[in-house]
Amino acid sequence: MTPTAERVPGRGMKGTMEHTVWPHSIPQTCEELMRAGARLQMAYAWFPRPGQPAEVIYLADRAPHQPFELLRCSLAEQTQELPSMTPRIPLLGWYEREMHELCGIHFRGHPELRPLVLHEGAVPPMPPLDPRYQPTAMMPYTESPWDLPPVEGDDVQFLPFGPIRADVLESAQIVFFYVGEAILHCHPRLFFKHRGMEKQFEGLTPAMGALIAERVSGVDSVAHTVAFCQAVEAACGCEVPPRARFLRTVLAELERLYNHLYYLGHLCHTTTLKVGEAEGKLLAERSKQINGMLTGSRFLRALIMPGGLRRDLDLVALPGKLRTLQPEIFRYMEMLEQTNSHLDRLITTGHLPQQFAFDQGATGPVKRASGIQHDLRWDHPYAAYGQLAMEIPMRTEGDAHARVQVRMEEVRNSLKLLYSAIEAIPGGPVRVEFNPVPLAEGLGWCEGSRGSTYYCVHLNREGRLARVKVKSPSFSNWRVFPYTVHDTNMMDYAINEASFGLTMAGCDR
Amino acid sequence: MPVWTLFGLGRGLATTPWPEKQDSAVQPGVLGLPRYHSDRCDEDCRACTEVCLPGAIDVKDGKLHLDYGKCIACQLCTEACPSEVLTKSQDWAFGVRERKDLVWAEAFASPAAQELKNGIRRHFKRSLHIRHIDAGSCNGCESELQALNNPFYNLHRLGIFFTPSPRFADLLLVTGSVTYAMRGPLLETWNAMPEPRWVMATGTCAISGGATGGGYACGHGLEGILPVDLYLPGCPPNPSAIIQALLLLLNRAGQRVSGGRYAG
Amino acid sequence: MQADMLLAMALLWVASAMVALMGLPAMFARLGIALGCLAGIVASLEGLAIGSPVVSLGVHLSDTAVQFHLTNAALWLMLFGLIPAFVAAPLRNGAAAGWATRRWLTGFAITLVGALGVMGLQDAVSFLIAWEVMSLGGAAMILGEGVSEAPGRPVLFMLSLLEVGAVAILLALLVIASRTGSCDFSSFAVAGNLSTPGTLLLALLLLFGFGAKLGVLPFYEWFPAAYGSGSGATGLVFSGIVLNAAFFGLGRGLFEWLPHKGFWAMSAAGIIVLAGVVSAILAIFNAFQEEDWRRMLSLSSAENACVAVAVLGASWLFLACGLPEQAALAWIVCLLHLAGHSLAKGTLFLTADGVRSVTGSYAIRQTGLLRNNSAVFGIGALFAAMSLAALPPQAGFVSEWYVFQSLFHGMQVNVLAARLTIAIAAAGLALVAAVALATFAKLYGVGLLGDHHVHTRHFSAGRSIGIFLLGGFVLALAVGMPWAVHALGSGSTALFGLDATADMQSGWLLVPLSNKFAFISPTKMIIAGPLLALLPVALFLFSRRSFQFRRVPVWSGGRREDARRIATTSLAFSNALRTFYGFIYGPTHNLEREYDHGPYFVKRLIFNQEVAPIFGPGLFRPLARAVRKLAEAVSKLQSGYLNLYNALIGMLLVLILALALFYR
Repeated sequence: MTPTAERVPGRGMKGTMEHTVWPHSIPQTCEELMRAGARLQMAYAWFPRPGQPAEVIYLADRAPHQPFELLRCSLAEQTQELPSMTPRIPLLGWYEREMHELCGIHFRGHPELRPLVLHEGAVPPMPPLDPRYQPTAMMPYTESPWDLPPVEGDDVQFLPFGPIRADVLESAQIVFFYVGEAILHCHPRLFFKHRGMEKQFEGLTPAMGALIAERVSGVDSVAHTVAFCQAVEAACGCEVPPRARFLRTVLAELERLYNHLYYLGHLCHTTTLKVGEAEGKLLAERSKQINGMLTGSRFLRALIMPGGLRRDLDLVALPGKLRTLQPEIFRYMEMLEQTNSHLDRLITTGHLPQQFAFDQGATGPVKRASGIQHDLRWDHPYAAYGQLAMEIPMRTEGDAHARVQVRMEEVRNSLKLLYSAIEAIPGGPVRVEFNPVPLAEGLGWCEGSRGSTYYCVHLNREGRLARVKVKSPSFSNWRVFPYTVHDTNMMDYAINEASFGLTMAGCDR
Repeated sequence: MPVWTLFGLGRGLATTPWPEKQDSAVQPGVLGLPRYHSDRCDEDCRACTEVCLPGAIDVKDGKLHLDYGKCIACQLCTEACPSEVLTKSQDWAFGVRERKDLVWAEAFASPAAQELKNGIRRHFKRSLHIRHIDAGSCNGCESELQALNNPFYNLHRLGIFFTPSPRFADLLLVTGSVTYAMRGPLLETWNAMPEPRWVMATGTCAISGGATGGGYACGHGLEGILPVDLYLPGCPPNPSAIIQALLLLLNRAGQRVSGGRYAG
Repeated sequence: MQADMLLAMALLWVASAMVALMGLPAMFARLGIALGCLAGIVASLEGLAIGSPVVSLGVHLSDTAVQFHLTNAALWLMLFGLIPAFVAAPLRNGAAAGWATRRWLTGFAITLVGALGVMGLQDAVSFLIAWEVMSLGGAAMILGEGVSEAPGRPVLFMLSLLEVGAVAILLALLVIASRTGSCDFSSFAVAGNLSTPGTLLLALLLLFGFGAKLGVLPFYEWFPAAYGSGSGATGLVFSGIVLNAAFFGLGRGLFEWLPHKGFWAMSAAGIIVLAGVVSAILAIFNAFQEEDWRRMLSLSSAENACVAVAVLGASWLFLACGLPEQAALAWIVCLLHLAGHSLAKGTLFLTADGVRSVTGSYAIRQTGLLRNNSAVFGIGALFAAMSLAALPPQAGFVSEWYVFQSLFHGMQVNVLAARLTIAIAAAGLALVAAVALATFAKLYGVGLLGDHHVHTRHFSAGRSIGIFLLGGFVLALAVGMPWAVHALGSGSTALFGLDATADMQSGWLLVPLSNKFAFISPTKMIIAGPLLALLPVALFLFSRRSFQFRRVPVWSGGRREDARRIATTSLAFSNALRTFYGFIYGPTHNLEREYDHGPYFVKRLIFNQEVAPIFGPGLFRPLARAVRKLAEAVSKLQSGYLNLYNALIGMLLVLILALALFYR
């Protein structure tokens, strides 16, 4: 492993503008970035050499059409410690806690040092992401009471809802402090589904890594795999053929389509609009069947690999099928927008102010519904998006209705993108030979249906994966979610949660 | 203001006749687990074992050992194999009662007799209540399970329901490879179910850990944790496969897999 | 025999009071009080059976011979007031030991003597004296027992409101006495004459006066604070014999002293009905939000008393509209209602004292009391709570059913306004019944249920048995109602000229004057219920053979949660109603968040809440302010100059001379 001091020219995180910083100048550098209008996206740590101190990496998005800024900071030999940036940049709060628990790095002055990723009572023998830790069994764990913010008041009732909830849902526990109908404080307790996926990448070839990336979040398979493959391709300087780029675009938009249709159906379930729910879920099913017919997998898996696609797809029948589905989708969305009982439950529910959304790191349709108009497909084009025209929908109300409207417009845009991509797709091969480059690093990104997905990949000497950092949109948005629940009421809770449309698997990894 | 009731009635019937009409046209084009043609295999080539991430394909005593209970249907083996030993297929209705039926057996055995266990199962034939528990899945299985109640599959017409509490449940349907944090709740849920009760391992993760099993936070499925009555591999198994497996549990459908061989 | 019993009763109580004051062990006073109550119970039973004699006390007050006579209604109400008092006397309440207990017993005895006087004395002056003695005893009980550290303010509030009521009663009595020329109640009777505007005024004065003790609006506001400063046993006395005595006074005043024919009587009756209903609604709404056993039960007493007042008004209305049988029915129903109420309320007040003895406070909180104590007290408390929530087959259900049945008779009234009033009253009482059900579900559910608590103390055996007995009496009253109701026959005949109780019962069924319309039968229910219960019991025993039993923890989403932490709190149970009826409650909801490094990181949350009383800020505080201003103005007379005082006295003397000389 190359120590940081000797930065070999040509190395470094491909796809970014990199800066090396000393630990004590992190606050200053971050301040400068923020003043220049950049927004931090994530932070993570890795161990370039087993037994040596970790490197902490911060990723920032300076401006549209400009490369990402990357801050790399090597920790001092004696202490694994850094000043916490959370008070100044709240969205880094969860990333720092994750680094604390999984890599053993201390952040001085962190305001919310409670267990996040590893539950109270989980005692791994060493920080899990340390490369020296090669577990042969699950770490020891005893179920322990939660460390929660103290709530004083005799009448306040404590309601731990979950992790097993009614209906077919993912496992997570939402802790409420409430008095009957009014919720005083909401504290989601996630990470029951933490599978240690980032560790699972270690030691695999990039081609195998794509299989893991597909299964980090099952309904965002394409987004994660595209981000992963772009990361390794950027790291190894592999140029994917144009046909593959267009096909990846088509697959990404198909995934967005079925996710948004299911979202609309599920939202109708929470507002008890029964026929609306049935229609939405039926349209999502149709969309998944189109996926199956086109690719053999309803979730568009087993296709994307580093270097392009595994096999070519026959897109001849696709526009016809989409055009058959399109009028039904449009009619459905129109009817939803005219149903007062449904809209009544959505308007002013779960209000997310723009400042909160920005500071807390909201991403995707949630962010665009609160007045921040950013989309990775437009700001940092990847795959074939640079060659296709698209609009970014935005709303400023920040309530559940705005989130729904943003997604409805995205459905319309997706269909337009699909038609134009299918029309403009060139011929040619769909894959190139992929040769892993030892010690390469790359950043890949993708705007999934739930928001921005980033993969940072580090390869080892043998060209296998040494460290993969997965930043999923649900991780960012789950942090934001409680702020829309405090001081609201129980009746609106399910609708609010459904209007965010997040997954636990993506967050917990 | 749209009248949703009229709209719904106007849409007509959207439900598939599966499983009365037993054809794979219910899932057109969807690939299942790869089919193994053992006679074509050149025993020196190890191309498939190298690309199998969960280790479903293994070499034992110089012979290929195939365990569908670990297969995540990634199709890499079908693309790596030079002699078409493993081919893409539409074999996704893979529900079995016994774990050994997922393992390729050299000696072909006829399908095991459908034995009724203590006779109570017949009472549930037309009415089964399922408690689903997500023990650490990727959400793909949940997505397919949630699809079971859409108008296309309409699970209720078969008399099968998802219930909110384990107290009312007959079947515990587990997805995911059982993370450290979900192990306790899983056992609590099992404990909270009144007898008679059964367990179904849905998806390869629940059977053997799949692609995500192992590591510091994740187990290897339900092996050694709960007694499983039905196994359904797939990553994820599509809703029609889940329906077929549930009907198999209720003796309303036949098992299609025996000794790793897929019939029909 | 009866007269002797009554004499014994009074003497025993007076003796107990003196014994307690003199410092002898509390046991003697308790014994005296209990024996006195027992004597009273025997006398009442005898009186209900064969009538009660008129006893002359041989004293004259303001030219009137003081006589003592307990009418039918008085005997009935006294009986049901004394039974809980009898059970409560020997039990230890929450008072601090020693002197405090003795002071409380003194107050108790004085209250009982006063109540006896209120029920039986037959002339205005002695009645007023007895009324004041009763109030004094009540105040003495709260102040004496030292349960609360600062009982002064609530007691002062209570006394001031009671004094307002006493002034109203005084005025009413003066007006009637001046009209009839004598202070004797027997000369007050004017039934039959046409009503005048004076009737309306007198009716309102009586309503105001007795309503101060019954809890008619705005007087129910002293209830929570005063009850909340005493022990449960004090509340038992307040809601039992004292409430019954006040109601008796109101009933007698309306029916025996005021004419009931004509427009004015009808409008007075209508106002009484509406006042009763509105008070009941406000009282029970406030009761539902309470978090203290005593306060909740106090407001429930106000609610029940106001329901009885409303039905009393309806009875008067029926009489005014020329329906004597329905009027008799309604009048009997009031008494039935209060009978069941005294017993049930007494049971729950004893339970409250028990809660305090185990947990150290009167707060309504899930601490697993039912689980950790014998089933005996639980059953008694359950019967009482069921009765107050009007669930079959309890006495409260019987009286509530009768209340609605008697109001249904309002359809037969031929005056439109009266019909409307009764219809509105019925609707209002339906709302009251619903909220009362919720209130007692909350009291029993949040107050006694719960799990996983370890208590070092338990309910004393005596208390458990007492609660069980009283609760059992509630059920016995309901089951025995077809026979018990006849006890009020003579009273009905005396007031209305007919015995409505004959038509209220048909075999084992209870019917509202006609057995073609509706019926209930707790007597039959008590037999059919257990028989039907045999079916599931048999199924249960039968199933034990086929299936094994497995005990598992409570399901709570997959993780074992601390039952204490997730227990339902009092506020969580009642918050929905508080939010929905915010215009009545004016709730304040205060959540403080302590932040760390900005608005995104919450360190601590502090929550408290309150409901605003309606009349407090709106009526009482301005009144208090006005009085204080007046006092300040008048205080100018306290100049400190002796000559000024002499001058004032001189002027007064001149004035008296002038009056004596020139006024004829």
